[in-house]
Amino acid sequence: MPPGESNRPERKRSKSSRTAWVLIAPFVVFYVLFLIYPAIQVVFLSLTNSDIAGQGRLIGLANYQELFSDQDFWAAVWHTVYFVILTVVPNAAVGFFLALLVLRLKRLRLLILSAFFLPYVLPVSVVTSTASWLLDANFGILNNLLGTNTAWFGDSTWAMPSVALVTIWWTVGFNMLLFIAGLQNIPNEYYEAAALDGANRFQRFLFVTCPLIWPVTALVLVLQLILQFKIFDQVYLLTLGGPSNSTMVVLLYMYREAFQQNRGGYAATVAIALVVIIVIVSLVQSRLLRLKPVR
Amino acid sequence: MKTVTLIFAVVFCLRAYAPAAALELTYWDFLGGGDGIRMKQIVEEFNKSQSDIHVTESTLTWGEPFYTKVHTAVVAGQTPDIMTYHLSHFPAGVSTKDLRPITTEELAAAGLKADDFQASLIQRSLEISKKYGGTDQLFGVPLDIHTLVLYYNKTALAKAGLIGSDGKPAGLDGLDAFTKMLTEAKSKTHLIPISANIYSQDPASLWRIWYTFFKQQDGDFVKDGQFSFDDVDKQGLKSLQIMADWSKEGLIPKNTGYPSMVALFTAGRADYMINGNWEVPTLVDLQKQGKLPFEYGIVAFPKLFGNQETWADSHQLAIPNNSKTPATPEKVAAALKFAAYVVKQLTWAGGGHIPAYLPVQESDAYKQMSPNNQYSVQAAQDVAFEPTLPIFGVGGPTFAPISNFLVPAVNGQAPVEQSLKQFTAELEKFQKQQQ
Repeated sequence: MPPGESNRPERKRSKSSRTAWVLIAPFVVFYVLFLIYPAIQVVFLSLTNSDIAGQGRLIGLANYQELFSDQDFWAAVWHTVYFVILTVVPNAAVGFFLALLVLRLKRLRLLILSAFFLPYVLPVSVVTSTASWLLDANFGILNNLLGTNTAWFGDSTWAMPSVALVTIWWTVGFNMLLFIAGLQNIPNEYYEAAALDGANRFQRFLFVTCPLIWPVTALVLVLQLILQFKIFDQVYLLTLGGPSNSTMVVLLYMYREAFQQNRGGYAATVAIALVVIIVIVSLVQSRLLRLKPVR
Repeated sequence: MKTVTLIFAVVFCLRAYAPAAALELTYWDFLGGGDGIRMKQIVEEFNKSQSDIHVTESTLTWGEPFYTKVHTAVVAGQTPDIMTYHLSHFPAGVSTKDLRPITTEELAAAGLKADDFQASLIQRSLEISKKYGGTDQLFGVPLDIHTLVLYYNKTALAKAGLIGSDGKPAGLDGLDAFTKMLTEAKSKTHLIPISANIYSQDPASLWRIWYTFFKQQDGDFVKDGQFSFDDVDKQGLKSLQIMADWSKEGLIPKNTGYPSMVALFTAGRADYMINGNWEVPTLVDLQKQGKLPFEYGIVAFPKLFGNQETWADSHQLAIPNNSKTPATPEKVAAALKFAAYVVKQLTWAGGGHIPAYLPVQESDAYKQMSPNNQYSVQAAQDVAFEPTLPIFGVGGPTFAPISNFLVPAVNGQAPVEQSLKQFTAELEKFQKQQQ
């Protein structure tokens, strides 16, 4: 090996790493500027008594102390958990069911698939205003069919389940697509082999489909969990946290503290608490679901 | 390089040909409905009427998003030059120093003086200036008064024999007569007696009705300059109880959102509607298009108790108090010139609002404007503005407890007395946080 060529690979590596840095720099810059820096600012803000425009002085951990004894906050946490319970598993289950249904179709598959997927394309404001008329106490078609005049979004018992129902109707299409992709990835040979071994339809579903779709299911559940914890748009547009705070979720509580009560510092504290909760729950969930491909 | 030179050349030529540059004014408002269309028309007409000032209008979301944005704009130093503002938000806006006082001289330079506007409006405005700004100057140019009115289905009521000889509904004198008439209307017309918006998602309408009842019984939140719940516990409780009773008797619908309220009335499914005068254009337009299945009328909110005071608020044109680059005298003069133009336009009254500028309010053209003339004279006298405390008013924190406690009480989902106690407890908490 001639001298001088020995350090060539190194130079090559440093050169390619430089290229790599140049390529990822735009992303890193945006990431730092619009995510990391604001996140640090939020932590700082939570230690102050600032109003919404960020004017205030340091008050140490007083906001956190207040948060721990703030009943309204804990109620909001419970409402969020309730919403998560009402949506995460049902949303995955309905998505799975629809995927099975669509794959079974021989004709009109694309049409039906699009019909199920269509709500997902709609903006949240369209979904909520449609839903609020469908479920309206005086004009709603649902009440008309049932012969009642329940205010679905105005009744403390029904408000959260109604919001959950609207959410599932709106977002289930995406889960259905993930399940369809997963189901189509299961090789047909497995079913054939199972059939040869004498497994009936239900057994094939239970012992072939279910275990092999598990990685997709786990993924859907994790995505759903994180997504539904961040519930805000639907309640803001449908119930504004009411009636009697029964749909007051954590992000809406944060919004209310920040924009109605003009307490930016405290709202930042609520935001940090939500991040902590989501991280803990996600960790626990990924442990429980053992997020590794099952093979 | 060539292209750049070319662009510069074109820009230069365009600039050279442009007429003497007009002073650019940025104008923010929160007018998204029928009145927004009228405001756009006024801005266009203003821009055409002269060449010194050019106003660019931006319409933002009404209510708390608007006031949050104004506050952050003031702190960040990126404000508009002029904006719409509610009189009811003045206590909050003046105490957070979001508004710039307007001197008498500045007003005079634009050809305006305080006496040109309805006295009750100016008086309340100055009261707030003194209390929260320590000044005797105005913080806004009053544009209008808007208030609750009583819309009625003339066709249905006439059929039931409930229209008096004067062509107005019978039974508008006192609570007992009114309730009796509503009960009669219910059995004879088989319609909902009053379409009203009782819903936790938009609690403002309920608050306006409750506050009207409260004020008509001489109730007040401020006693000797201090926040007080004495009246809320008495007259306030009575007011809430009446509304809950009406709901129980089926005289007002339960759980009805704002659009539903309007739809119930305009579809001919209700005898009355208690709503702000801002829905006047909706009825005017529907009638014009032949889509209103009945003849309607409007009266000022009736005297149900000791007096006829009725909830009211006022749109104002205000100058933000930019914290970094205060408005130049030229900009202030231009902004006020624009404001002076706007308040003199009769177009605005087409939105149902009562003009605050007296020469317009007293003009023959306005007096002949229908259906406005059915309510405006009386309604202009009866104004009961929101309490002069920063926690009240559009965008204030009070709407959360109204939604949480007063709405369920009226809907029969929670006991009245306990709900009112919870409501006052929340208000007390807000008041403490303010201090």
